Amino acid sequence: MITSQPTSSVKVPRKRITVYSVIALLGLVSMFMVHWRFGLGLILLAAILALFSIPIRLNPLTFKKIKRFKEIRRGYYSFLILLFLSILSLFSEMIANNRALVVSYEGSLSFPTYADVKLGKEYGLTGPDANAPVNYRELKSRFKAESEGNWVLMPVVPYGPNENNKYEGVLKPRPPKSFLLSKLLLMERDKDPESRHYLGTDSTGRDISSRIIYGFRIAIFFALAFMTLVYLIGITIGCLMGYFGGIFDLIVQRMIEIWSMVPFIYMVIIIFSVIPSTFSISTRVSILLGIMVLFSWTGMTYYMRTATYREKARDYTAAAQIIGASPMRIIFHHILPNAISTIVTFMPFTMAAAITAITALDFLGFGLPPPTPSIGEILKQGTARLDAPWIVICAFIALVMILTLVTFIGEAVREAFDPKKFTTYK
Amino acid sequence: MNKNLLNIFLVAVVGVFITGCGGSKDETAEFPPQDVTAEVQEYYATYKRVPLELKAKLGSGAISQEEFNSVMEKEPLFFSFKTLEDLPGDLLWENGMELEDIGSRNAIKGGTQYAALQDFPRTLRRVGPDANGSFRPYLLDDVAMRLARRHPNNTAIGPRGHYYFGELAKEWAVDKERKTVFVRMDPNARWSDGEQVTADDYMFMFFFFHSTYINAPWYNNWYKEMYTNITKYDDLTFSISVPEAKPDMNSRVLDLIPLPEHFYRELGDDYVQRYQWRFQPTTGAYIIHDDDIEKGRSITLTRQKDWWAKDKKFLRNRYNYDRIYLTVIRDIPKMFESFKRGDLGGTGLINLPEYNYEKLPDSDSDVQAGYIQKTTFYNEIPRPSYGLWINQAKPLLDNNSIRVGIHYATNWDRVIREYFRGDYIRMNTTADGYGEFTHPTLKSRSFNIDNALAEFAKAGFTDRGPDGILVNANGERLSFTLTTGYRTFQDMLTILKEEAAKAGLEFRLEVLDSTAGWKKAQEKKHDIMFSALNVSPEMYPRYWETYHADNAYDVPWLEDGETPNPERKLKVQTNNLQSVAIPEMDALINAYRRSDDAEEMKKYAFRMEEILYEDASFVPGFVQPFYRVAHWRWLRYPDDFNVKLSRSSGEWFLAWIDEDIKAETLAARKSGKKFEPTVKVYDQYAPESVRKGASLAGNAP
Repeated sequence: MITSQPTSSVKVPRKRITVYSVIALLGLVSMFMVHWRFGLGLILLAAILALFSIPIRLNPLTFKKIKRFKEIRRGYYSFLILLFLSILSLFSEMIANNRALVVSYEGSLSFPTYADVKLGKEYGLTGPDANAPVNYRELKSRFKAESEGNWVLMPVVPYGPNENNKYEGVLKPRPPKSFLLSKLLLMERDKDPESRHYLGTDSTGRDISSRIIYGFRIAIFFALAFMTLVYLIGITIGCLMGYFGGIFDLIVQRMIEIWSMVPFIYMVIIIFSVIPSTFSISTRVSILLGIMVLFSWTGMTYYMRTATYREKARDYTAAAQIIGASPMRIIFHHILPNAISTIVTFMPFTMAAAITAITALDFLGFGLPPPTPSIGEILKQGTARLDAPWIVICAFIALVMILTLVTFIGEAVREAFDPKKFTTYK
Repeated sequence: MNKNLLNIFLVAVVGVFITGCGGSKDETAEFPPQDVTAEVQEYYATYKRVPLELKAKLGSGAISQEEFNSVMEKEPLFFSFKTLEDLPGDLLWENGMELEDIGSRNAIKGGTQYAALQDFPRTLRRVGPDANGSFRPYLLDDVAMRLARRHPNNTAIGPRGHYYFGELAKEWAVDKERKTVFVRMDPNARWSDGEQVTADDYMFMFFFFHSTYINAPWYNNWYKEMYTNITKYDDLTFSISVPEAKPDMNSRVLDLIPLPEHFYRELGDDYVQRYQWRFQPTTGAYIIHDDDIEKGRSITLTRQKDWWAKDKKFLRNRYNYDRIYLTVIRDIPKMFESFKRGDLGGTGLINLPEYNYEKLPDSDSDVQAGYIQKTTFYNEIPRPSYGLWINQAKPLLDNNSIRVGIHYATNWDRVIREYFRGDYIRMNTTADGYGEFTHPTLKSRSFNIDNALAEFAKAGFTDRGPDGILVNANGERLSFTLTTGYRTFQDMLTILKEEAAKAGLEFRLEVLDSTAGWKKAQEKKHDIMFSALNVSPEMYPRYWETYHADNAYDVPWLEDGETPNPERKLKVQTNNLQSVAIPEMDALINAYRRSDDAEEMKKYAFRMEEILYEDASFVPGFVQPFYRVAHWRWLRYPDDFNVKLSRSSGEWFLAWIDEDIKAETLAARKSGKKFEPTVKVYDQYAPESVRKGASLAGNAP
């Protein structure tokens, strides 16, 4: 019989705890002092580092599964890469941005990335630039030309995601700077020595690499939130159906059948036509998330319902009932840990589906509100601008890479959690 | 789970496509016979037009129903019947024959023109639900004959309005004192089924457009309000009267298009279904045969070989193609590929910069080989008013300094220069392109951060917040929603947004679909709207709809007529999108509407433009002063290419197909033989500022 025992107390070296705590504390402080996203990134980093180093004494079966997962190299490395990219994306402002990382002006350093908008006069600009927000790229070349010891350090991609950049005097697609990309795809190459548009620009001159970086961040965290919510609702309702059975099961199942017949894209279109789009972008994204979750949790319930039915018939459930455990305790403490392995294997695929869905919605123009950077939106532009093939190719490659990583993880998880390999019943 | 999500998604997408391809239902259902003749006669004998003032009085409760009825007793009938002896003798008859002919004498009749439609027409009716689609010009606007038509090259204003040439009318007389236009019809005018066009068809036209059977309230309203009487003198002689003798009163009457009474005998409640796919006999050159309609795919127009007007001056060199074959191509890029393959004769897609400069640049091999010719033609028509419509009924936006600041903070110059590649020009007034009626010297404010900041500072916005947006002492941010119903202009608005942020102004973009966007503006719920009112080639701009206080508030003023009524409520469903209410403006608009003197009206119009400039609630955007067309070499145009008033190269049907050149070009494409490349700009009607541009001038004939 399997039951999940609470893991016994763990020992983590003191030193490490101190280091992680310091990082987390720093994050907490910078959430308020610098930028919430920057802080959140630090906290998450600390949490993940801690998780990895804690020699948790897991349930031996789970431990075996994780060990097996680690052994499947392709999946494990995909997981590490995706994890790294996700954390990195929290610091996107320091990778792709039109604000400088560091400015040294008359001997004093300033860090504009997360700071308030600065006006030109603060860096000694005059004329029409004095009262306008600083253009740090221009500032950089200006300082260089003046050579008075002032300097500007720009991020790797010195362009914001919503910024329109000229090419030959007008706003039109600029071919990629990347030598590799242009060679590989036999495309023209941007020969401007000043340009750092590695992947070129889209049809109104917005930097594609910058948009992909920010688009990735939104997509991946959107998918994570989507998955968490869908599982929370789906698992709870599925378990309840399976555990209580009878009339309850019958009614809820019929309701789910009706509910799942509602095509969610219509709902997205309808709901988005009535909500005022003056809501801030984050509110709109949350609403989109809500709608998608509302119409997607139903699929999960079927698996949980069957699994719970199966587990409910086992002796350990009967034993728990006799001891007098409450239904909630039985469901979430006894049954769920044993039924979860089926679900875990779906997780990466759910994420892939969510990323696909959000991309598709953006492609159709019903997704994230403009000008939110998104891969689907770049794809859409690209298909209309086949004369600038790098737009569609970059978006396509980015999407394929993300989905491949997620799918590799999914396959590995599925194999590692294969119940035939590990589950034994006494 | 993931599959489920994907499935739902796929089903939905497929569903969208399937519903999008509807219209394949068999429409040949039987309709019971019916006859509307008796009802028409009854209507002629009884209908009286309600004068607008009387209607308003009854509506506001100033007079009782009884009083209304007694006044109406004395009103004359709308439809009158008289004899030729009753025709006034002092009329000045004119026929426009002295005007210059249009089109080219070299035009050859024949050939098939291939063109594309994005949607299959949903009906062949000319009015009623779904009739106002992209196919209507082929049935009505560009093809159907009117009494007379405004000369498209001579846009001067004469003593009796614009200059017209006769189509269905042999001659006409404008009588300003009687507010009436008298018409003698061309005895040769025929419907395409052989019936003669007579005064009865004009009588019936009024019955038809007054009728509720047609499900077209706009027509009901227009034909009841804009005309006061029709009098038949004999089968070919009649007169139509209008309520005001405006300078353009001739156009109100001469632009009327008759309806064949004999065809609409079966008019009734089922008009919409009954006439859905029946082709109405036309007075124009092109007809549609039943077997030329392939629903959802294509529709073909055929030229009548013995058209009654084929030798008439002004018409003889036009309507040259034997057939016009219209295919449905829903996808724009595909439409362009079809053109490049030679499946379509011409395309207007190069109006878009990306097509003109990247997809079909002058250096394109087909252009360089002379197979495809590119033409830019500067026209002169009233321009759609693209710009920002600021709703001054909203908080903060009621402050004039903020509105002026918004003017300085919107960088149209950058949009025009970089996004539209310098093709367009800045709009300067609320009514550009009206020729003599457009203010000659007024210029719109240019982007200037310092001026914008100074104006915003006047309104108390002096400090920048952490995100660079200005805040006032109460902590309010200088942030407004910028709504639009045009998805196509989304990227352009993003540029305006980014530029405005430099001046400390935030635009929150709201991109809605066109219906929702327009609805929001009509309900006056917008802060700032990016939109345009489409305008028809009229003599003078309209101000009452957009700038009169009556269209802004229910009761705009207190008794004295100039103090704002503190309890006034916004009036919805009007076109005063800016909620402009200025007493001086109202007075000018009323005078302008009453005036029958063009010079006086111009003076009023200029003064109104100056007031609106000071009021600063409309940020003039851009104007496309030309249209471009790319066409295959065998599609020929007159030497001066097109007429001044044309909106597109096809509107006046001046082009023709030269079959010999077509054969030569097709052969040349195979053999690789090349011709002289032809990329032309016709700027004879271009505004001064554009004509000076050295690169553009020079190649017009």
